[in-house]
Amino acid sequence: MGFLWHQLREAVPLIWSGHDDIMRLGWVSIRLALVATAIASAIGIPLGCAIGIGRFRGRRVVHAIANASLAVPSVIVGVVVLILLLPRGVLGGLRIEFTLTGVYVAQTLLALPYTVALTAAAVNALPPGLLDQARALGAGRGQLSRLALREARIGVLAAVIAALGTALSEVGAVVIVGGNIQNHDQTLASAVLQQTTDYTDYPNALALAIVLLVLTGLLMAALTVLGQRNDALRLRLRTR
Amino acid sequence: MSAPLLACRGLTVARGRREILHAIDLELRPGEVVALLGPNGAGKSTLLGALAGALPPVSGAVELHGRVAVALQSPDLARRSVLANVVAALAWWGVPRPERHPRARAALATLGAEHLAARPASELSGGERRRVHLARAIAVAPDVLMLDEPFAGLDGAARSDLLADVTGALRDPARATLVVVHDRAEAWALADRLLVLIGGELLADGAPGELLAAPPSPPVARFLGYDGELRGVDGEESERLLTRPGHVALDPRGRLEATVTRVIPTEDGARVELSLAQGRLSATVDGPPPAAGARVRVALRGGVRFPA
Amino acid sequence: MTLLWAELRTAISLIAHGDPYLMQVIGFTLQVAAISTAVASAIGIPLGLVIGLGRFRGREALRILANASMGLPPVVVGLVLFLLFVPAGPLGSLHLNATRTGVIVAQSVLALPYTVALTVAAVRALPRGLPDQARLLGAGRAQLAALALREARVGVMAGVIAALATALSEVAAIVIVGGNVYGYDQTLASAALFASNAAMYAEALAVGIVLLALILLLVGGLSLLGQFGGGIRLRLGPAA
Repeated sequence: MGFLWHQLREAVPLIWSGHDDIMRLGWVSIRLALVATAIASAIGIPLGCAIGIGRFRGRRVVHAIANASLAVPSVIVGVVVLILLLPRGVLGGLRIEFTLTGVYVAQTLLALPYTVALTAAAVNALPPGLLDQARALGAGRGQLSRLALREARIGVLAAVIAALGTALSEVGAVVIVGGNIQNHDQTLASAVLQQTTDYTDYPNALALAIVLLVLTGLLMAALTVLGQRNDALRLRLRTR
Repeated sequence: MSAPLLACRGLTVARGRREILHAIDLELRPGEVVALLGPNGAGKSTLLGALAGALPPVSGAVELHGRVAVALQSPDLARRSVLANVVAALAWWGVPRPERHPRARAALATLGAEHLAARPASELSGGERRRVHLARAIAVAPDVLMLDEPFAGLDGAARSDLLADVTGALRDPARATLVVVHDRAEAWALADRLLVLIGGELLADGAPGELLAAPPSPPVARFLGYDGELRGVDGEESERLLTRPGHVALDPRGRLEATVTRVIPTEDGARVELSLAQGRLSATVDGPPPAAGARVRVALRGGVRFPA
Repeated sequence: MTLLWAELRTAISLIAHGDPYLMQVIGFTLQVAAISTAVASAIGIPLGLVIGLGRFRGREALRILANASMGLPPVVVGLVLFLLFVPAGPLGSLHLNATRTGVIVAQSVLALPYTVALTVAAVRALPRGLPDQARLLGAGRAQLAALALREARVGVMAGVIAALATALSEVAAIVIVGGNVYGYDQTLASAALFASNAAMYAEALAVGIVLLALILLLVGGLSLLGQFGGGIRLRLGPAA
């Protein structure tokens, strides 16, 4: 255990001293996660809501596709986005390959399945009587959506937090689209990868990993609290 | 009289810091069917759990001579066929494999459910589900059988059908059965003996007819349907008289004066609530009832006296 | 679309001609996926049953821990495992770093939270009365476990599917522990990363296509097998 302990002891002061790179990477990661998730939420939550409560032909198929999209590996999204962004690619004119902007695009695409599919699931899980009653009283599509999202807000919030978590920890697409260039377009996660494999700078890697762990830990704590509130809510509804 | 299969003395059970059951004494003897009756929150399910050994008592002990099977209030069945569910219960009980199928079928037949044997449990109606749930508990042939509200959630017709079928199925000379019932009708239909639990205390223990004719205390009397109370009848200020509708008649030659406060129509007439100087009464009337606010005369044909 | 189209055509011919590198990577990927999922299930499902059915102090804490562990960033898990397996480290004598066995071990560790947490969730979703009733009819612990497993099989299967999906898509830990050595211990996902970084875009696409096909086949097939009515239990962890 001595080796691991030794590396940890060297890592801690790096965090404590607010080592520049670590702080910067932290902020880059947080900003990336927030922006990508925000865009994915703005698009995905309404979409997921429509899939969850809509009554159109092929709804089940669309729902299944949304669920399936969760299983698409991040590396595939990364490869496709990169090829599109390369100079000879369709979006080559944007010249954002191997830049942070490109990473933003990829991360938004990766966050989208979470916001769509998990929102659809949350909304779908509502007692059908609630929405049927609203429909019977003449509620329009917009009103139904607002009602559904309000009632399922815990599940929707969980979807957003899950998307945030993914965006923070994701490595494959970040490295592929961004190229993992130091001081340019790295995140905490991709920097851990580089420090370990390319530079074998283990204390640095550990320091980055600890910061990443703290951030995702906060998200997990938030999810846990939400989960408890959801259980309490369901218990209250059951014993009424 | 044979030795009891289950006995407890001074049983006290708590949940957390709240005492739910206080000093319960009771016995269950072979061959009898005992009904446990009480208002919501009295502790009936807790008592069942404690007697079955699932809840440790704070004081007192439960003596068991044999095995106990409890059928919980919710008839949760596994997602398999009806027969498979009963066979599984026999497997849990430890019955040898060759005996399981025959005993399962016999138990289903006792409850009039043998035609459901191959049906998936998810396709059963409420009444059918309850039959299979009961068949499970009977099939294992325990020495003590406890049922928690076996008719809960059934509508009128399903309930009376099941009630009729169950009364025969529950009786077994080698077994003691304790049934938590929801209302007096079920208790009367099923039981030789009635236990009344109110506020965690066992306040009555006896044959249904005897308890009804002579309830041991006012709370028990009120729970058994004595809803009328008068004080100072015959000038006796130190006593109160509790009555059931059967004890009260509207009679123009009656000694007491009353005012009708409420009339509730029923299928065969009406229930009439009366207010008197000495208290209040309720009576049943066949045929057209008096109007609310009318003054009538009342005759008493019984009732039970308690100290005031 | 010119670049994408050109690389796509090359990629398809690589697949069609059974390029040996591709075949080797596919073979190893299947090996990792199969073994790590099997190990994660063999350990995780019984563990999940114990936590789901058990009535002991700290059970709720374990459940929360299992759920939270799904959110651990794989890159951090990879780093920790790597440091444990380093020759100077506590498990150094096992010589797992830069080996295929090491990759399989790492992936098994990453898959474990899914089998545990989703099994717990599936057991908890059963009608509470059923295990209680079985206990009151004399069922012993083994019989209760068999009952719970049978009744909750859809949810348990979801955990196995999630484990499989992560085994196929994971990149960071595999690269860190295994070293991502060409022709030796690359999986389809890590090979995509490798090829992309080496500007071998046709190879990256080929790998990506096969990976997508594999995921659709395996995950989709198993999901369909697990009944339509069961609904798809969604992962709440990072995808890479």
